[in-house]
Amino acid sequence: MSTRLSPLRAPGAPATRRTPRGRALLGRLDRRFLPVVGTLLTLVVMLGVGQQRYSTARADFLSMRLLSNLLLDNSYLLVLAVGMTFVVLAGGIDLSVGAVVALVGLVTAKLFTAGVPLPVVLVVGVLIGTCCGSVIGVMVQVFDIQPFIASLAVMFLARGLANVVSTNSLKIDDPGFSALASWSLKFGEGRETWRINASMLIALAVLLLAVYVLHYTRFGRSVYGLGAGDRGAAVELMGLRPARTRIGVYIVSGTCAGIAGLLFALYTKSGFNLTGIGMELDAIAAVVIGGTLLSGGVGFVLGTGAGVLVYGLIQVLIAREGLDSWYTRVFIGVVLLAFVALQKLVAIRRE
Amino acid sequence: MSGPSKGADPSALLRRATQHGLVWPVLALVVLLLACGLKSPGFLDVATRDGNLYGQLVDLLRNSATPLLLALGMCLVIATGGIDLSVGAVMAMSLAVSLTYLAGSGDPAAPANVVVAVGLGLVLGLAVGAFNGFMVTSLGIQPFIATMILMVAGRGVAMLITQGQITTVTSAPFKSLGSGFLGGIPVPVVIAAVVFVLVALVVRRTALGMFLESVGINREASRLAGVKARSTTWTVYVIAGLLAALAGIVYGAPTMAADANNIGLLKELDAIMVVVLGGTRLDGGRFHLGGLVVGALLLSTLERAVIVFELPSQTTPLFKAVVLIAVCVAASPALRSRLRSRRTAPRRPAPVEVAA
Repeated sequence: MSTRLSPLRAPGAPATRRTPRGRALLGRLDRRFLPVVGTLLTLVVMLGVGQQRYSTARADFLSMRLLSNLLLDNSYLLVLAVGMTFVVLAGGIDLSVGAVVALVGLVTAKLFTAGVPLPVVLVVGVLIGTCCGSVIGVMVQVFDIQPFIASLAVMFLARGLANVVSTNSLKIDDPGFSALASWSLKFGEGRETWRINASMLIALAVLLLAVYVLHYTRFGRSVYGLGAGDRGAAVELMGLRPARTRIGVYIVSGTCAGIAGLLFALYTKSGFNLTGIGMELDAIAAVVIGGTLLSGGVGFVLGTGAGVLVYGLIQVLIAREGLDSWYTRVFIGVVLLAFVALQKLVAIRRE
Repeated sequence: MSGPSKGADPSALLRRATQHGLVWPVLALVVLLLACGLKSPGFLDVATRDGNLYGQLVDLLRNSATPLLLALGMCLVIATGGIDLSVGAVMAMSLAVSLTYLAGSGDPAAPANVVVAVGLGLVLGLAVGAFNGFMVTSLGIQPFIATMILMVAGRGVAMLITQGQITTVTSAPFKSLGSGFLGGIPVPVVIAAVVFVLVALVVRRTALGMFLESVGINREASRLAGVKARSTTWTVYVIAGLLAALAGIVYGAPTMAADANNIGLLKELDAIMVVVLGGTRLDGGRFHLGGLVVGALLLSTLERAVIVFELPSQTTPLFKAVVLIAVCVAASPALRSRLRSRRTAPRRPAPVEVAA
């Protein structure tokens, strides 16, 4: 299909030369950005509704405080979703990330009780994720096992290992870790207070790094190329390395899951074997809402960032509305449906 | 042909045997059962009490019923090149609907009410299946994402049905769907066996099975050849939804508690695992129903073996992972062709890829 041709050009790259028929070009660009535009529109509508319904005389709904809280509560999800974006763009899927988050949290807690110093624990935590990702990558690339099933196996593996470490919630009371968790910069006064903490900074750094890697490097170009189909033949013809890239995206996703595991441990100051059940779906949902096509090859990692905000905002709105928390899942399903339908619409118009 | 010895070459026989998809799962099943038998001497005994069969093996069969029901639907969906992630949530929803109706009816023990309750659960499964089928066929959404929508939202819907509570009912007829006996055999086993035979007859004695496979291999080609790809695909999602609803009722009946958060949690993954263990590749186009029985038995034997060996039951996923990885890698064509090319390296030309 010819629909897959345009996304090969990374969006950060300079636009193709301006033809006299600039409007046609603009039209084409528009359509490629349409899913992301949809995400942004949704975000704006949700913020508008929130501003309308929940602003009080003393404080606006729409504030730095809201944004800061969204990032605070969803920093781990942002990191997970960024990793997932790589895999999905390359036409794969990674179901293991939720289990990896649980495993990393528990191992971290266990290492702290064993008296291992903070830097070592942090590195080990991230490396656990990297290892899990590598196992998936090797299974997918070398043994030609479907990504779905390979990551499912690693999900079971990580979940089982987490249960071996402990089936109880382990509290983390390492002073260094606690200091890291409670460190924050405070801005504003009274009800307008908002803050920046370590998790947010790490999550944003991961996001920016991902933008750079996906849109300005050879690896990023190969990721888009792999997702375009034909089993990486086009990528190979371009002189890029499909095998290495395919393993690479799972390593990226695993590493992100490792980082997210640490962030989640920072957030809860504990490790627990039941964390992260369904978290992989939250991550996939954020990626889809963010405008990345699950068939691969089309999408932007910044869109994923917006997707995470939409996801977090749904929870905020439902809490403010006083609805029970299970409405969250129904609403996320509805939003997911809307975005998938939108993606379909875009694809049809392209043809 | 090319080996040094001809005729009844045991190594060739062995090679042919190991290439059959089911050899590894069956082997694993036998080894596990023997290991359990050695570890716990009474494991393989089957006794009759009041004319009903009792014993660990019978429990094992009973536990295999739910994964088998789920895997049957999943297998047909996978054969068309799709996947159904919503089955776990459908289990929760159907049980929620059934039990909520029973709790609201005046007499939960009345057989008529139980029939209606089960019927409602099944209708819900049918509706969910139809919705999935609509999204996959009419909207053309990838099956993975189309069914993920209900996987995410379905559990929320189940919570809405039970209003966030764990609905409990006492109703002997309903309970017997999960823990009763029929002619000495546990009811879930009877249900699973009947459904299995029905599905097997439908897909193997009518053209439906061939249609499924042709759609899975090449949707467009089969459409051009006159197969109604759309209605075929639709049918399999409806069957999968229906069977998932049935599985939910059978699974939840013994406890009679609709716990929307936990019923059927991650069961879709178990179902996929059973399909894979049963030798069906996830790419679609070909499926083996017989393998599902082996896969379901292997899954529940694995779960049981963890308990027999006095390992913490929470470590079950670890062993599931090991078995899954081992079976996948052993069955992976990549590994096979690698081994084969090593064995006959000098004579064998590079494998020719057939253009898709």
